[in-house]
Amino acid sequence: MKRDVLSALARLALALFLLMPLIPLAIWSVAHGWRFPALLPSELSLAAWSYALSPVSGVVGSLGLTFFIAAVTSVIATALAYPAGRALGRLRFPGRSVVLVLVLAPAVLPAIAVALGLQGLFLRMGWTGTIWGVVLAHLIPALPYPTLVLTAVFARFDPHHEDQARCLGARPLQVLLHVTLPAVLPGLRTGAVLAFLISWSQYLLTLSIGGGKVQTLPLLLFTFATSGRNDLTGAVAMIYVLPALAFMALLLRQRSKTAPLPNRTDR
Amino acid sequence: MKVPLQLSGLRLTYPGSATPTLDGLDLSVGAGSLTALLGPSGTGKTTLLKLIAGLLHPDAGDIRLGDRSLLPLPPERRKVVLVFQAALLFPHLTVAQNIGFGLRMQGLPTDVIARHTDAMLDRLHLTGLGARRPDALSGGQTQRVALARALILEPDLLLLDEPLSSLDPGLREAMRALIRSLQRELGVTTLVVTHDQAEAVALADSIALMQGGRIVQHATPEVIFARPATLAVARFFGGENVLPGQARGGVFESAIGRLPLPAGTADGPGSLTLRPEAVTLGPGADARAARVMECRFLGTQTRVELDLGGTRLVALVAPHLAGGLAVGQSVGVTLPPSALWFLRENPEAPPAVPE
Amino acid sequence: MRPYLMLAPLLFVLCGLFGAALGLTLMRSFRYLPAVGLTEPDLSAYTAILTAPGFLESVALSVWIAVGSALLSAALALATALALRQAFVGRGILTGLIQVGLAVPHVVGAVGILYLFSQSGAFARMAFQAGLIDGPGAFPALTNDPYAVGIMLLYVWKEMPFITLILLASLQRIGPDHEAAARSLGATPWQAFAHVLLPMLMPSLLAATALVFAFAFGAYEVPLLLGAHAPEAVAVLAWRSHTDVDLAARPEAMAMAVVIAVIAGGMLVALAQLLGKAGWGGR
Repeated sequence: MKRDVLSALARLALALFLLMPLIPLAIWSVAHGWRFPALLPSELSLAAWSYALSPVSGVVGSLGLTFFIAAVTSVIATALAYPAGRALGRLRFPGRSVVLVLVLAPAVLPAIAVALGLQGLFLRMGWTGTIWGVVLAHLIPALPYPTLVLTAVFARFDPHHEDQARCLGARPLQVLLHVTLPAVLPGLRTGAVLAFLISWSQYLLTLSIGGGKVQTLPLLLFTFATSGRNDLTGAVAMIYVLPALAFMALLLRQRSKTAPLPNRTDR
Repeated sequence: MKVPLQLSGLRLTYPGSATPTLDGLDLSVGAGSLTALLGPSGTGKTTLLKLIAGLLHPDAGDIRLGDRSLLPLPPERRKVVLVFQAALLFPHLTVAQNIGFGLRMQGLPTDVIARHTDAMLDRLHLTGLGARRPDALSGGQTQRVALARALILEPDLLLLDEPLSSLDPGLREAMRALIRSLQRELGVTTLVVTHDQAEAVALADSIALMQGGRIVQHATPEVIFARPATLAVARFFGGENVLPGQARGGVFESAIGRLPLPAGTADGPGSLTLRPEAVTLGPGADARAARVMECRFLGTQTRVELDLGGTRLVALVAPHLAGGLAVGQSVGVTLPPSALWFLRENPEAPPAVPE
Repeated sequence: MRPYLMLAPLLFVLCGLFGAALGLTLMRSFRYLPAVGLTEPDLSAYTAILTAPGFLESVALSVWIAVGSALLSAALALATALALRQAFVGRGILTGLIQVGLAVPHVVGAVGILYLFSQSGAFARMAFQAGLIDGPGAFPALTNDPYAVGIMLLYVWKEMPFITLILLASLQRIGPDHEAAARSLGATPWQAFAHVLLPMLMPSLLAATALVFAFAFGAYEVPLLLGAHAPEAVAVLAWRSHTDVDLAARPEAMAMAVVIAVIAGGMLVALAQLLGKAGWGGR
């Protein structure tokens, strides 16, 4: 009995811990004057929200821009990762481990190690300050995730399914559409979501390549956070995380619906 | 030390399941014997092994090994070792470390463990493989390491879950012989789970047949074949000939006529079973006339399907005895009285000859 | 030929961007810039950063942040993953919360930590209301502090769920049977954990922890928000040198970037060696 209470408390503490930093941000976003040592704001106000959502602040435009960059990065990264993941997962060839290290490296090496050199490179090409330049930069840390996920997925995929489909009269394109893609779809989706999130959260590479001209939400949020307007910062932070949270929640619900029940062989 | 195992009234229902997996199961296994636990897939054989090993707990019932109940003991203190179907060698340990695992858990000194491990490696024909990783072993070697890892602990009871199922047919024979000889030598009471009746017959001293969460019959293979406890048991062991009818005054009255019953059989409706290999073909004093419906050569035997006055009967005979038979031909059939077995149970559908 | 063709698009982008950027960083760190007439590579940028005050302190601080964050996250994640393996009411919600946390960017979390743990933040207010402190200044400095407590708090919050998810996936793959086999072979629950489950989890635990180390070591925006003014995290220092009005500091910034890459990359190599030695390389 005592053990049950303790473990229930531990779970509650874990849930609170996971939500911890979001709580003050949510409260600040609707606070009007919340000075030390008040535990809760004396007055509530939607002023921060209405300013953040107004065209003047540029937050909504920045949200769209951040989403666009993340979506394009995710699509390109997944498209490049698909054939690469298939080769790495299914085939054994000389240099495979070298390629794997090369693929993993951008995920392990900090962005600062790439950002300085990349800025020099892009300056020379005239790509700094452009959205496409930022997308290219985001590809570097984003690529490893779909590639590694698809490598694992293809390692489990039995190509005999494709041969069987061919024998049953499917053309190569039909095999791809009706057999291979459905089989690797969960991996494709996971890889794309991870690539999206990497770009969505990217700070330093956007700063160095965007050069202040490409203002994604993390950059904007940083500006608000260092300006001392906690209410605006809270509202922008909420606008930044809520779409991603809703998206993840949706994805989770869908996955739990489609997940097969674990089966036992001999009971 | 040889110790008997006694299971009584074991019940277990998995949470969320409507039907019990074990429904009042009783079984006694003699000290030092090798018993096969046989049953179709999904009858709860593995569940039963996990209960005995202490990895699951029954809702009711008792498990006694020798004179003590195992129920209050955690798995590690039962002196019962379960060898899983998948072998489950620990991938981060070498073969020798896997075999010495249990002794290491007891905190024995390294040199003692090494001595026992080396002896076990030799005994299971694994000499020189001690330093290998489990993923560098063949299927047969993997199973032998799993067995060595269990036997080194000199358990009171050894539980083997489908030990041969992952092996190629050629390897099975050798592994079966190895299990038999080690079990005899060590005298460890052993319960082997299998779904393959041929394997159970070849391996075990006695067979416990499990159906519907209970043991329906526990006997030597010979007894189970000749005198099955139920029609279901008879069918599971390939008993195809089941005749419905009535016992009356020591005689069985059926569609094919009157057949003698063992003395003392009480009157009433029931079935008569007869093993296909007990049926003899050809002329004889008690032969009845039948028509050959199908004749199929099976290698060591020929399977003959007969129409005996409208009742379907199957005979398994030596190929040279069935050499000249043709479909449609008439042949004499003898049903030896000693091979007839009466069950007070009626088949769901009598084995009529299809139109 | 086929695998190389399938890899070509990815490798083209990776080498063209990542490889070229690293190469350029390396060249410039050696003051090798043929375009402006510097054709004699030298080590002066490296000697400059190693002798200048502050750089080594920054490296030490970043290592402290990375080690602390990685070890704390790993320990908490292990406990969480093991707890989540058992069935209980609300398990789905907790697992969902853990996954959802992945979608919260570092900047957002960092601002949240600031509002919670700063001297005028939520916890300071609670302490004041409880009568534990008599003013904001009496609350211990947990953000923008010399021990980088705030930065580590953020990384533990952000990376613990990441390691937990990796461990949960591993636990699911391993299944309960190896532990059961160990118990049947005479291991106590603790022995089954220490001798079987933990070693089997180790490869993924180490890999995830190394990733967290590399990430926290090279982080930029989090120490910028939550760190003290001096010493700065090494990435912050490198970027500040890079954007210095004094162009002479550029090769030094590049040299710092190379040092960061070498330390983070060294971590990866050490991990690969460790896993290889433990017999996990062959898979």
